[in-house]
Amino acid sequence: MSSQATSIAEGLWHGFRKHVLYSYLLWVLVGTFVLGSIVSPYFMTQRNVGNVLTFSAVISVIAVGQFFVVVTGGIDLSVGAIAALTTVVAAVLMKAGCPATVAAIAALVAAGVCGAINGLLVVKAGITPFVATLAMMSIARGVSYLVQEGSLIGITNDGFVSFFAGKIGPIQSPVIIFLAVMLIAGFFMRETTFGRRLYAIGGNGEAARLSGLPVAKCIFSAYLLNGLLTGLGGLILAAQLTQGSSLLAQGYELDSIAAVVVGGASLAGGTGTPIGAVIGGLIIGMLGNIMNLVGMSSEPQMVVKGLLILVAVMFIGGGVKQSRRSSKLSKLQGLAHLFKGGVA
Amino acid sequence: MLASTEARLAKQAGPAVCVGRKQSSKPNSDVVLEVRGLSKAYPGVKALDCCNLEVHQGEIHALLGQNGAGKSTLIKLLSGAEQPDSGAVLLNGHEVVLRTPQDAQRAGIFTIFQELSLVPGLSVAENIFVSDMPVNRFGKVRWRQLRDEAVHAMDWVGFPVDVDSPVQTLSVAQKQGVELAKALHRNAKVVLLDEPSATLPQADVARLFEVLRVLQTRGLALIYISHRLEEVQELCGVATVLRNGSKVGTYSIADTNPTDLIRAMIGRDLKSSLVGETTGSERKPRLGSGGDGTIVLSVRGVDDGSIVHDVSFDLHRGEILGISGLVGNGQSELAACIFGARGRVAGEIAVDGKPVRVRTPAEAIRAGIGLLPDERKTQGLVLPMSVQSNITMANHAAFSRLTVIDRRQERRVTKEMIDSLSIRVSTYGDEQPVGTLSGGNQQKVVLAKWLVSKCKILLFSEPTRGVDIGAKEEIYELIKVFVLNGGSVIVISSELPEALMCDRVLVMSRGRLVGDLSYNDIDPYGEAILKLYGGEARAETSR
Repeated sequence: MSSQATSIAEGLWHGFRKHVLYSYLLWVLVGTFVLGSIVSPYFMTQRNVGNVLTFSAVISVIAVGQFFVVVTGGIDLSVGAIAALTTVVAAVLMKAGCPATVAAIAALVAAGVCGAINGLLVVKAGITPFVATLAMMSIARGVSYLVQEGSLIGITNDGFVSFFAGKIGPIQSPVIIFLAVMLIAGFFMRETTFGRRLYAIGGNGEAARLSGLPVAKCIFSAYLLNGLLTGLGGLILAAQLTQGSSLLAQGYELDSIAAVVVGGASLAGGTGTPIGAVIGGLIIGMLGNIMNLVGMSSEPQMVVKGLLILVAVMFIGGGVKQSRRSSKLSKLQGLAHLFKGGVA
Repeated sequence: MLASTEARLAKQAGPAVCVGRKQSSKPNSDVVLEVRGLSKAYPGVKALDCCNLEVHQGEIHALLGQNGAGKSTLIKLLSGAEQPDSGAVLLNGHEVVLRTPQDAQRAGIFTIFQELSLVPGLSVAENIFVSDMPVNRFGKVRWRQLRDEAVHAMDWVGFPVDVDSPVQTLSVAQKQGVELAKALHRNAKVVLLDEPSATLPQADVARLFEVLRVLQTRGLALIYISHRLEEVQELCGVATVLRNGSKVGTYSIADTNPTDLIRAMIGRDLKSSLVGETTGSERKPRLGSGGDGTIVLSVRGVDDGSIVHDVSFDLHRGEILGISGLVGNGQSELAACIFGARGRVAGEIAVDGKPVRVRTPAEAIRAGIGLLPDERKTQGLVLPMSVQSNITMANHAAFSRLTVIDRRQERRVTKEMIDSLSIRVSTYGDEQPVGTLSGGNQQKVVLAKWLVSKCKILLFSEPTRGVDIGAKEEIYELIKVFVLNGGSVIVISSELPEALMCDRVLVMSRGRLVGDLSYNDIDPYGEAILKLYGGEARAETSR
């Protein structure tokens, strides 16, 4: 009885150590909070934190999608364009009198189709993810211009806006959506065979194939999922701005990749978690917020943001190719390599 | 001919060996490389503990030890890839600090790794001079001079190849020749060779040895690392044995019994005779008992259209079937065809009398066929994933309900496998990344993966490549147990001793089966097998 109790306590301690004490990401997040509270008294107010979370919702959902692709060793440059296409499709349909549900589902289908095409191009046509999604980036953005016919389209459907950008109780619904997406994705990656397969494919595609895993199917699913989640992000964006426009979501592909990488995933694939990707996005979002609060203009903000991505990645390890997950040594080595100019 | 005579003379003239720590302070004029008290620790392991080593001019010095003995650490330190915690490296009596590989090369220490460091798309000549192309005063490369010097450099190592051909078109042996030429033209004093024979066909190993002997007579100090004792006995004059990061001793090969070397390496007496007497002894060890005669796998007319041609054979239940041949005669491609990892243009495969499709590895696994590839790290395992995830990878269905993984069952089965195959994992238990295990333990994890997937037919491709002697024996033991429990095994091996242990040996040459020998047909020296690839060997050298 007591041995069982101690083993549970040991397990808890082990988990605490692994997920809390040794989690660089969490400490960086805490550090950001501390920095924010020191710099501005307004930072820690409920209103400000709520705002940061609400504005991070879109990029968080897209970052989770991007993570599915990155963990297979791929990359998706088309997410910004797909999100813009989603806003346009939803807005056009609602303007034409469609009910919000139909419009939202149609927009999601459009995004899903884009993701599926990405997946087919990578899996069936054997085009490298970078090039395939680069092409899709241009195509999706172009299609959204064509569908839109002219300038932005306003959204007046209250149901749509309140579902995707309203409040449920005291909490903003975008926050609830992104937290739900994050937790479900986290569960899938950790607890299901699908997640295990994605890690295996990203870790060593050849070994995965020779172990009989359905490699092509899994990679295709990752791109499809990314398309759908990007579509969901696009719907939140459309509701928050009450418009659909082909000009929206510019640069979201890079923001989502930055979030994933800061969140501890390696672009080589096989590592990281969706929760890490969201935390990575939050760290970037909060730092932007802090800089806004101290009144920094946007140009130096970009420089600082870039530097912060580099520093975060060196400590969290996402951009540094490493043989072991969560090895302090390899992180330091990565740092050393960077200073040596990457001579290996 | 002349070269090898000179080599023998040089070996005889060589100084006394078995250099202890006390003697090492005595000045010795022809010591080229001296390692003094070199130590290196990684978190949790003392990889190298106060290692001393002296390598003399014109000496081929073997470095022996099991995996994890500290050989690779010593190589890393000597090649400048990593820094020692303490100790010194002396070259011709002067201390050198090797912060980077460039430092080591400037000092004259060159390392030839198994993964050669050549640029595949560049020509032989360009590769030799890659870091110091001869240029005129405008910076234009002097191509004619480059070419002439390259021809000269290749002649010097005694390895004639066309210096204009791109390196990617060369054989592994030729590439090693280019590496050597590259090192020599940059005034190498010491050359470290990290298991150069591991990737070479037998005929080319002899060539490599000739080249190394020529280099020896030219006064180079060579450090030769290999798992193959026979090679060390043939080539080296002196051997230093490392164990658990410490030096056990330096031995003169001529005066030392090979069993003593093995004992020094593994620190205990060999349990069985499997490894010690595999070749040359009158009694042949045998892994299996021949099986019960029921056909479990029948392969008919398998052809991949390029390398494997019209191969047909049967495998019986409980049988250990060897497929032997010189490297590159289609053995591994045949295995890939049977496993569905390589496309076939013709041929049928039947398991237990029923034809099976086997177009993908997944279909092969469903039919009960598993492949343990020779490239464990790139084909067999996902290195950053845990031992547990690797073991259950090929049979997720058994460890999940509605795709949700049942971790408790997964952990239980993993523990069973770790215990029954005695996989040595560290305190991290099941969550340890498989990449941190030694070669032998990684092989056991691959085996566990197929056992968990209920495979009844296992294809072992080079089952003990890169595995140390102790673990080798364990793997043979596991194969034995697998067949005793009703499994059937195909062993594809370029090592003759391994073929000799099988119940039956198929010999492959140029993608075709040229022989089918039962255990009793094969003499203890394997002459019967060698004769079958004899014609092939001649063709190889005439090329």
